[in-house]
Amino acid sequence: MLKLLNRNDLLALNRIILRSHGVGCLVVENPPSRGGDNVQKLDSESITLRGLTVGYDEALVLDINKTIYPGDTIAILGASGIGKTTLMRTIAGLIRPLSGEIFHDYPRRGGIGYIPQRLGLVRHSSVRSNITLGARTRRSKWYPSWYPLDSSLKEDVDNAMKALKIEDIADEPVRILSGGQQRRVAIARTLVQRPRIILADEFLGELDKDNVKSIITATKKIVDEIGATLVLIEHHEERAIEIADRIWRIVDKKLIEEGDSNQ
Amino acid sequence: MIPINKKLIFSGILLILIAWVFIDDLVDDWGQVEGAPEKLQTFFTEDLLPPDWSVLEAEEWSDGSLHKPNGDICDENFELFCSKAWTGMVVTIKMAFVATLVGFFFSIPLASLAATNMAPLPIAIPARVVLAGLRSLPSIIWALLFAIALGFGPLPGILAMTLYTIGYLGKLQYEAMEGVHNAPLESGMAMGLTHSEQLFHVVIPESSNHLLSQLLFMFEYNVRHGAVLGLVGAGGIGMYIDNYINPPFDYNKAFALLIVVFVVVVIIDLISMMIRSFVTEEGDVKRPKWWSVILPPSMAVEMYSESEEE
Repeated sequence: MLKLLNRNDLLALNRIILRSHGVGCLVVENPPSRGGDNVQKLDSESITLRGLTVGYDEALVLDINKTIYPGDTIAILGASGIGKTTLMRTIAGLIRPLSGEIFHDYPRRGGIGYIPQRLGLVRHSSVRSNITLGARTRRSKWYPSWYPLDSSLKEDVDNAMKALKIEDIADEPVRILSGGQQRRVAIARTLVQRPRIILADEFLGELDKDNVKSIITATKKIVDEIGATLVLIEHHEERAIEIADRIWRIVDKKLIEEGDSNQ
Repeated sequence: MIPINKKLIFSGILLILIAWVFIDDLVDDWGQVEGAPEKLQTFFTEDLLPPDWSVLEAEEWSDGSLHKPNGDICDENFELFCSKAWTGMVVTIKMAFVATLVGFFFSIPLASLAATNMAPLPIAIPARVVLAGLRSLPSIIWALLFAIALGFGPLPGILAMTLYTIGYLGKLQYEAMEGVHNAPLESGMAMGLTHSEQLFHVVIPESSNHLLSQLLFMFEYNVRHGAVLGLVGAGGIGMYIDNYINPPFDYNKAFALLIVVFVVVVIIDLISMMIRSFVTEEGDVKRPKWWSVILPPSMAVEMYSESEEE
């Protein structure tokens, strides 16, 4: 029966099982998103945050106990400087937690897609070479960095640019692009990377309504396509509710999930 | 009223006082300053000026034939191409070019290991020690060591310049790499890019303006140092300068050659500015032409908007 369901249905089904029975053991054959693995345990795709305290010298968010399930779209809300970005950078593995643990088995290479607040694009490189960076993580790290991509990865880069309507500016340096175009480049890079989780820190910024709508549509389409989990930090509450299916709010150094009666 | 930063003024005065104490401690006889301007004036008027531009001509032998400095017959259309200034400068530029390029290729990986945002401290510190070691010996000492080992000629000069370039350029480069914005590096780290992928696809493009500027500065530096390396027989224009500042002292010719070095340095600087415009944001902005300052304002604005539309 499982073979009759598509990837998204399976992810949704898996989430229901995981949430109702704790650890699940659902096995999907031939998942379409990531090449290489024939059999993939969906339960192993989740991230568990256990007793996590994040911060730098001082703790910003205390004792987080949460599980992020495959296919989730989570929005983190909270006032400025409250620790949203610190939490995201901790999940991305860029800073160590002050205490507690993060469990996941994502590959070190290519498993996590991170779009920081300032987008993290290489401003002096072209749109194409920025997007190509994402594709590089899909081949072995033993390839010399100057070695060209194979044709299928190049095709993926082209397709991502088409999907985000930036193929006309493929050879332009990123520094001359508008905010909206730069955001599209950042998303295209992540799309080509095909990570299992995308961490996006206020990547919609202060864009106008039209741009926000088209970028959200493109992002959602892509996230569904590659079956990734999306965790984003958002300042605009309405926008967050529109995009996300789970809302995390940081209040008084505590992470509270809206609609979670167990808290 | 202009706000006065008292701390800044106090710090400035303190630094000047410390410098004064140091110099007073170092200089025993202030009497030597007396008559210095007159001595300099005499040296300039009697020895240096006017520069002897015969260094821009081929050597004329007693039979009236024109020769290059190495004795070959000058069969060029322009005599300049057979002159000491030209042939010496060409050798110096070739030496500087090879040394800068080879030094650059070795300094980039070393600098990436020395940059603390790219490598952990246990790797960065030894890499910095290596770079410091290479640049703590001035290129003239390196040249002397290589001249002892290999004899005189351009090769010891090239090797000396190369080693010094690695040390000097490496330091400038790791500082430029450390100045790269965190965001692209963090994205790369989270994505799982390797050290060399980060270096070639993130750090080098992001710091390309600085790296290019340093590379071109180093080339210019090596061209200028070519004039000094001649003192240890490393060839190039420095060899001729060395000949002229030694007995039977021909300072006017040495001065003319130094002016040639100065002109070449200015040309390299202009080329550097042009090359860097491809990687700087300034290059993306259309600016009014310099001669628009002599136009009436309304006409200048009109011309500027026309050039923007292009």
